[in-house]
Amino acid sequence: MIKGDIFFNLSVRSVRLNFLRSMLAAIGIVIGVVAIASMGMLGTNMQLEVKEQLSSSANTIVISSDTVRMGPPGFTPSSSTASGVTKSELTKITSVVGSNGTVIPIYSTNSEFTISSVAGRGPIYGIDPDDISKFLSLNKSYGNGTMDLGVNEVLVGSTIAEEFNLRVGSRIKIGSFSSSSRPELRIAGILNPRGTVADGVSTDNGIVVNSKWYTNQYGGENEWTQVNVIVNDVDNISGIESALDAKVNTNAKTPAVRITDATSQLETETSTLGTVTTFIMAIGGISLLVAAVSIFNVMMMSVSERIQEIGILLSIGTEKGEVRRMFIYEAFILGLLGAGIGGISSMIIGYSVVDAMIGTTAYFFQPASILYVPAAMFIGVAVCVISGVYPAWRASNMDPIDALRSE
Amino acid sequence: MIDTPLIQLVDVTKTYHLESGDFTALDHVSLEIGENEFIAIMGPSGSGKSTMMNQLGILDVPTSGKLYISGRDVAEMSALERTHMRRDAIGYIFQKFYLIPLLTAYENVEYPLILKYKKRDTTGKAAALLGQVGIDKDMSAHRPTQLSGGQQQRVAIARALVNDPKILLCDEPTGNLDSRTGYQIMDILCGLHRDGKTVILVTHDPKIAEYAHRTIRLVDGRIAES
Repeated sequence: MIKGDIFFNLSVRSVRLNFLRSMLAAIGIVIGVVAIASMGMLGTNMQLEVKEQLSSSANTIVISSDTVRMGPPGFTPSSSTASGVTKSELTKITSVVGSNGTVIPIYSTNSEFTISSVAGRGPIYGIDPDDISKFLSLNKSYGNGTMDLGVNEVLVGSTIAEEFNLRVGSRIKIGSFSSSSRPELRIAGILNPRGTVADGVSTDNGIVVNSKWYTNQYGGENEWTQVNVIVNDVDNISGIESALDAKVNTNAKTPAVRITDATSQLETETSTLGTVTTFIMAIGGISLLVAAVSIFNVMMMSVSERIQEIGILLSIGTEKGEVRRMFIYEAFILGLLGAGIGGISSMIIGYSVVDAMIGTTAYFFQPASILYVPAAMFIGVAVCVISGVYPAWRASNMDPIDALRSE
Repeated sequence: MIDTPLIQLVDVTKTYHLESGDFTALDHVSLEIGENEFIAIMGPSGSGKSTMMNQLGILDVPTSGKLYISGRDVAEMSALERTHMRRDAIGYIFQKFYLIPLLTAYENVEYPLILKYKKRDTTGKAAALLGQVGIDKDMSAHRPTQLSGGQQQRVAIARALVNDPKILLCDEPTGNLDSRTGYQIMDILCGLHRDGKTVILVTHDPKIAEYAHRTIRLVDGRIAES
């Protein structure tokens, strides 16, 4: 047992004897462990947050035209010439989906808006009132609104509502501030926050209007920016996508529409976040390299100061392996000290960083996140032990006669 | 049946390769030491006493010639076997005591037992030996720096004896002690010789050498008198 091992006791006493020096060396490990664990946890929490948000629309296929529909500044419907998903394409989509899902055609553009003479800008979504409740929900804390939008009514996202201090019944003017005609609409409801979504309808900073009002103002009737298909069974999503592709994109060289789902976006975003996390952790890892040099230096000092003691040990019959073990233990103890303090610190610092950067710690204690603490601690200890290998080897290979003569 | 000497040196030479040229510390030395002998090795500085002790203590191997301990050729033993022989068959008592500074007196004596049996001493042997050399329980808990020179040498003797070695190598054991303490230490060594140990003692002091039954004089690496 390590506790009863005389060589472990010797190592503990050596660390105690040079406590300040040992602690200063261990601080490098503390910093390294904190950097790796905190950055790892931050990246993982970001990935989990994105995954959670995107998974809410994982059952949604987004069909859009390759020609992006650009809205005019303000609203000048006559200037809109861009095409979108056409009515004939929508008919094909509806026939393919059948009873396997729900088809929601959506118009969208970007526009300025004004609330109580304060201007803002955000996406405007034109959706049939019957479809709105199929994928959006109301936040009742702002008042009892309705999703059954009249022509002159809108729903606004939670971020806009918060920033402009809106309630159900507040008024909003849509259009450029410089435009002479800015229709005023009544806010019929505030939408629940959606966060990052993969279905192309980011309503937190946006406004949902009646599709009839949208086409009246912007034109482009029956030329939808995108069509969302919410499938009943997420396992059928790739089959439906294939069927849609075959039916709508009859010309393989120039496909009429682009068909995507949350999976591809999720993969892209998590891959990007993963790369960024690895890069940041690698930067944190550099501090461990610096710590390794510091530990190596301390261990070499320890060997130099204890040459005569090593000579005594070797001359009275201590095996080389036992001398090596004694110094490896010393490096291990330094690593354990650094990693222990670093582990506790990274829990506190990591929690604060995740809370400050992501705004939620809901995923902090999930295994994928918290695993970075023991992993970073293990790396910290391993770095220390590796740093102690050469000094230990040097100590064990000393000539006992020369070592005994050393003062 | 011919008795095998406990220690046998056959034409042993030890040469050090220095920048200033080769230096022969032991020059074709042949010597036999039997069991339960008490030998003093004397000679002026640079005569090869320390080199001889290093050879006898198998801390070093001869450049040429043969050294046998208990009939075994030291040069043919592996490094680990030599380490085990140092641990089990030889007890070292140094002029500077050479106790392990991080261990208490008791732990210093217990240490060779741990090396041999890979476990802490549960037999009470270490404590008993400390008692025999005049170190009480309170002093046993002290670190070497908290003990006087005489006390440290007593602890060193107890450490040398704890694995019950046949050979005791004593390199100027009284050199760092006042004469009264020195004689007390010599009394202990005489007692150990009476108990059957082979005691080999290096000393400059003729009075100390008088305790031995045989004196070997070294001059320029050669045995001048045996």
